[in-house]
Amino acid sequence: MVSSIAAQVPAAVKATGTLTVAADATYAPNEFIGPDGHTVVGMDADLATAIGQVLGLKINMVNATFDTIIPGLVSGKYDLGMSSFTDTKARQQTVDFVTYFSAGTSFYGKTSGPGIASLAGLCGHKVAVEKGTTQAADAQAQAAKCNSASNPVTVEIFNDQNAVNLALSSGRADVAMADSPVAAYQVKQSNGTFKLSGREYGTAPYGIAIPKNNGMAKPIQAAVEHLMADGTYMKILDKWGIQAGAIPTPKINGATS
Amino acid sequence: MTTPQTTETAGLTAPPEEIKAVPVRHPGRWLAAAVVLVLAAMFVHTLLTNPRFGWDVIGSYLFSRRVLAGLAITILLTVVAMAMGILLGVILAVMRLSANPLLSGTSWVYIWFFRGTPVLVQLLFWFNLAFLYPRISLGLPFGPSFLHANANSLITPLAAAILGLGLNEGAYMAEIVRAGILSVDHGQVDAAQALGMSRTLTMRRIVLPQAMRVIIPPTGNETISMLKTSSLASVITVTELLYSVQLIYAVNFKTIPLLIVASIWYLILTSVLTAGQYYIERHYARGAARELPPTPWQRIRRILFTVHAPLPAPPAQHRDES
Repeated sequence: MVSSIAAQVPAAVKATGTLTVAADATYAPNEFIGPDGHTVVGMDADLATAIGQVLGLKINMVNATFDTIIPGLVSGKYDLGMSSFTDTKARQQTVDFVTYFSAGTSFYGKTSGPGIASLAGLCGHKVAVEKGTTQAADAQAQAAKCNSASNPVTVEIFNDQNAVNLALSSGRADVAMADSPVAAYQVKQSNGTFKLSGREYGTAPYGIAIPKNNGMAKPIQAAVEHLMADGTYMKILDKWGIQAGAIPTPKINGATS
Repeated sequence: MTTPQTTETAGLTAPPEEIKAVPVRHPGRWLAAAVVLVLAAMFVHTLLTNPRFGWDVIGSYLFSRRVLAGLAITILLTVVAMAMGILLGVILAVMRLSANPLLSGTSWVYIWFFRGTPVLVQLLFWFNLAFLYPRISLGLPFGPSFLHANANSLITPLAAAILGLGLNEGAYMAEIVRAGILSVDHGQVDAAQALGMSRTLTMRRIVLPQAMRVIIPPTGNETISMLKTSSLASVITVTELLYSVQLIYAVNFKTIPLLIVASIWYLILTSVLTAGQYYIERHYARGAARELPPTPWQRIRRILFTVHAPLPAPPAQHRDES
């Protein structure tokens, strides 16, 4: 515990001694369920534990569907949301963010399928995305553009990433969209069934989601800075093979779009 | 010396007192009613004063295009899945009661399998059928095939939902119809056979119409249940009511108000179905009782519009004259 940073934690949170952190554990390698069948593991889980150690608080990591996490933060069910959230201006109207990573969106599909390389290439195909993600919003925006032409896009929105991958395997969708580290990991784990196609776009920061104005933004930012300074941050990213997305300094509400 | 006549006359000149009849007091009922009223008032108060309900959001989305489109799909799923379920149920029930062991065995296996797996799993299975059979073709068994189709084009999400819900419902309806058929007295079948009716005619004209009285209440229950079970189709991306509402709050984060919008519509539809079931039950109850009890509308009419004749005047008090 770093006492100078732990002192910044508001008294109400310090009194409980625990931070409940929500993540949608279907997004390997950032958050997924470990071999014991119920613990959330991954880059976000390791980073949450490290932040907890700096602040002197216990971390209770819970699994929740992606589109229920921000409403859960607003209603006080969770203290933090660390589920590969892209920090966007739209989301900043509801919660605060402390940026900690950088990722874009990648396309991936069956090795035998059409290699869709960009959003424009979606026209005339079926794309699977997870509910509540920026990829869902991007795909729907592209569908509006395509549908005016003669080549409609079918956007299939599923509850979680596992359902997206199943839709891809069964041919329901020609292509899936996910954050680049996640897409790369799925392709690696699939042993040749899936392949990445095209180039990643829309590189944007990940942010730790915090309820608005509850005093936790500054301590969390200080904790992340500390982890970057003492090398713990890079060690965690190296462990999961995603060091390419490292950022130099954490920002509060650093949305670029 | 008092004579009996004097006492009689004396008794007859005074008019009999009116009986003061006081209704039985039920203090417990009044107390319970007061408690219920207070709780109801508290509930209505919190509904109106808690800002988190978001009544303005509810009002703006209750009749929005997306919600109404989702409602239409929910109604479509309920109607088609129940129609499929009832038709399948009758066929399976009759097969189950057949003398042919192959028919009754097949029916048993179908009911065992479709009641034995969760509806959600069945929906996911039909949706992802292409994982097992990418192409579906029509042809000779173990021989050449004539028509081919891509499984994903043939089975759209809506088709997968109808298949999953309808086939599952067929298994449950089969047991309900079988219960109805068993409830008809065997004397009816004996009498029909004595009249020389065939087994099919007996089933169609004698047994099934009488079985309806026992079949309708659980079927109404199943229909109302199907209305809600159709929300499972949200997992396979069918844009029914719940999924439409989920897509809206995934973007604007107003989870509770939008779930209330969906709940209001489910409640309205359930009320309509409940009223419908009441009238269908009355239709099939003809002949079972001398006179059917009045419907709610008939009761309202009776209270509001019946004119009572004035009560007759009390009898004259002059019995001692004669």
